[in-house]
Amino acid sequence: MTSLTQATASVTPPRTDLAVRGSRLARLTPYGLIGPAVIAFAAVLGYPLVRLIWLSLQDFGPRSLFTGEAPFVGVDNFTRVLGDSDFWFTLLRTLIVSVTCVGGLMVIGFLLAALLMQVSAWARVLLSVCLVLVWAMPMVSATMIWRWLFEPQYGVLNWVITRAGILGDFSAHDWFSSPGQALFLIIALIVWKGLPFVALTLYAAMGQIPGDLYEAAALDGAGRWSVARHVTMPILGPVLAVLVLLEVIWSVNSFTPIWVLTQGGPDGGTTTLGVYSYLEAFTRNDYSGGAAIAIITVLLLAVLSVLYVRRLFAQDEAIA
Amino acid sequence: MRRKRAVPNTIAVLVSLVVIFPVYWMFATALKEPGRILSATPEFLPWPLSLENFRTALTHGPFLHYVRNSLLVSVSTVLIALIVALGASIALARFRFLGRRAFLVGLVLVQMVPGSAMVIPLYLMLRSVGAIDFVPGLIVTYMTFVLPFTIWTLRGFVAGIPLELEEAAMVDGCGRFGAFWHIQLPLLAPGIVATSIFAFISAWDDYLFAYVFLKSQNNYTLPVWLVSFQTSDGIDNGATIAASAIFSLPVLIVFLLIQRRLVGGMTAGAVKG
Repeated sequence: MTSLTQATASVTPPRTDLAVRGSRLARLTPYGLIGPAVIAFAAVLGYPLVRLIWLSLQDFGPRSLFTGEAPFVGVDNFTRVLGDSDFWFTLLRTLIVSVTCVGGLMVIGFLLAALLMQVSAWARVLLSVCLVLVWAMPMVSATMIWRWLFEPQYGVLNWVITRAGILGDFSAHDWFSSPGQALFLIIALIVWKGLPFVALTLYAAMGQIPGDLYEAAALDGAGRWSVARHVTMPILGPVLAVLVLLEVIWSVNSFTPIWVLTQGGPDGGTTTLGVYSYLEAFTRNDYSGGAAIAIITVLLLAVLSVLYVRRLFAQDEAIA
Repeated sequence: MRRKRAVPNTIAVLVSLVVIFPVYWMFATALKEPGRILSATPEFLPWPLSLENFRTALTHGPFLHYVRNSLLVSVSTVLIALIVALGASIALARFRFLGRRAFLVGLVLVQMVPGSAMVIPLYLMLRSVGAIDFVPGLIVTYMTFVLPFTIWTLRGFVAGIPLELEEAAMVDGCGRFGAFWHIQLPLLAPGIVATSIFAFISAWDDYLFAYVFLKSQNNYTLPVWLVSFQTSDGIDNGATIAASAIFSLPVLIVFLLIQRRLVGGMTAGAVKG
C-alpha cells in the first residue's frame, strides 16, 4: 500500500504561507527539522552506497577483512563478472523468474480484483480477509510452510497432486532435487505472497472508476471485453504501470524465499542475481565481486525503469 | 441480481479456500498431535487438538530470549525512525527550503536500491566498528529501508492536514510549537500508528540482514531462529510449523484488526496517479 502511495503521490510544493513570513528563526526551522534525517541518510544510505561503489573498484578479499587494505583494481571486477558464464546464466534465470512472477501476479491479481468487484458483500469480505491474511504472513513463515506443503514424504500438496491424478504419482516426489521444479515452487511462493498487494490495489483502483463510464459504454452497446479494453484498462494504466515496476524490482531482488528453500541450489540452479551477489561476497569471501554484481543489478533495474517510464510517457503523449 | 451473483460468489469462495489453504495448513499442522503429523494420508482437520507442538517449540532453546531480541530491534527501529521522520516529514510538507526537491527525489531513488545490494557495504561498515553479531547494530541496517518509507508516508499524512487549522490556532495565540502540539499531532495520530505498524513489521519480518549480521545463536532474532530451528532429533516438522505459527500470529492479528482501513487506505493511495 505505502509503496504505491509513495510512487504515485504527486510531489507538488506545499503552501508555504506560514514559512515565508516570520523571523530568521522561522527560516532556519525546516533545516533543523530535516537535519537529523539528512545526517541519518548520509550515515546509513549515503556512506554505504559510496562504499559499495568504491568496493567494486577494489580487490577486497578475506585478507582485507583483517588488514583493512585492498588494492584499487579499476573495472577488473566488472570485466571478471561479465566474463563469467555463471553470471549470464544467473541473469537469464533472474529474467525468467521475474517475468513469470510479474506476469502471474498481474494476470491473477487483475482477475481477483475483477472478481471482488462482482461478488456480494459477504463474499467480498471473505476473499479480502483471506488476501489480507496472506499479505500479513511473514515471508520466513510462508517459506517454512512451503517447504512443509511440498515435503517429499508427507507434503500435503504432493498427496493432493497424486490424488488428482493428472501429473502422475507424486507420493515421494522431491521438488527440490531438480532446479526447474524448485524454481517453479519459488515462483509460486512469490506469486502467492505478492498476490494480495496486487489484487487489493487493483480492486481499490477499479472501485474509483465512475459508474457512469460503464453505463455509457453499455448504452453504446459495448461488450464485456471492449469495456475492459477501452474503459477499465486505460484508467487503470498508471496503477498497473507502477505495480509492474515495483514487482519487477521486488522479484529480481527477492532473497528469503530462495535462500531458505534451496540456498540457490541444486548446483546453483535456482540462484538469481540477489542470491548470486550474496554468495559471491559471503560464501566465496569476494566482497568486491559481490559489490560489482549488486551494482550491475541496480544499474540494470535503473535502466529498465527509465526506459519503461519514458515509454509510458511517450504513450500518454501519443494518446493526447 | 441474486442469481447473477451466484457464479462469482461460488468462484470467490473456492478462490478463498485455495488462497488461505497454506495459512490454514500451518495452524492445522501446529495443532495436531505430534504423532499424527506424519501420516501417509493427510488428515485435514487437526483432531484431537493438541498444544504439544507449541510446547516443543517454546521449550526448545531460549525462545523468550529470541522474542526479546526481536522486540528490542523492532521497537527501537520504530522509535528512532519516527523521531527522525516526524521532523523531516513536517519540513517537507510545510516548508519550502533549499534542497527540498533534491531530498524528495533522493527519497524516491533510494527506495529503488535493494537490501541485497546494501548488505555488503553495511556488513563491512559495521564490522569495522565491531558491531557484527551485535543486536542493536541491526537497527542501523533497518534504518536503510524503514527511514525512507517512513518519511515518505508521514509526509503524505502531514500534507493531508488542512493548513487553515494551524493558522487558526496561531491566530488564536498558539505558538508554532503549540499549534503543532495541540493541532497537528492529534490529527497525525492515525498516520503515526499506520507508519509504526509497517515499520515494525518490516523489522520484525526481516531475515536477510539478521541472517548476515547475527552470528551466535544467542543473538538470533525470531526469523533466524525459525529457519535454523531443529530439535536434537533433527527436523521436527510439527514444532517447526508451530514455531512459524507463533511468529506469524501477532502480525496476522494486527492485519486482521486493521483490515478494513488497509483496504480503504489503498483506495486513497491508488488513484493519485
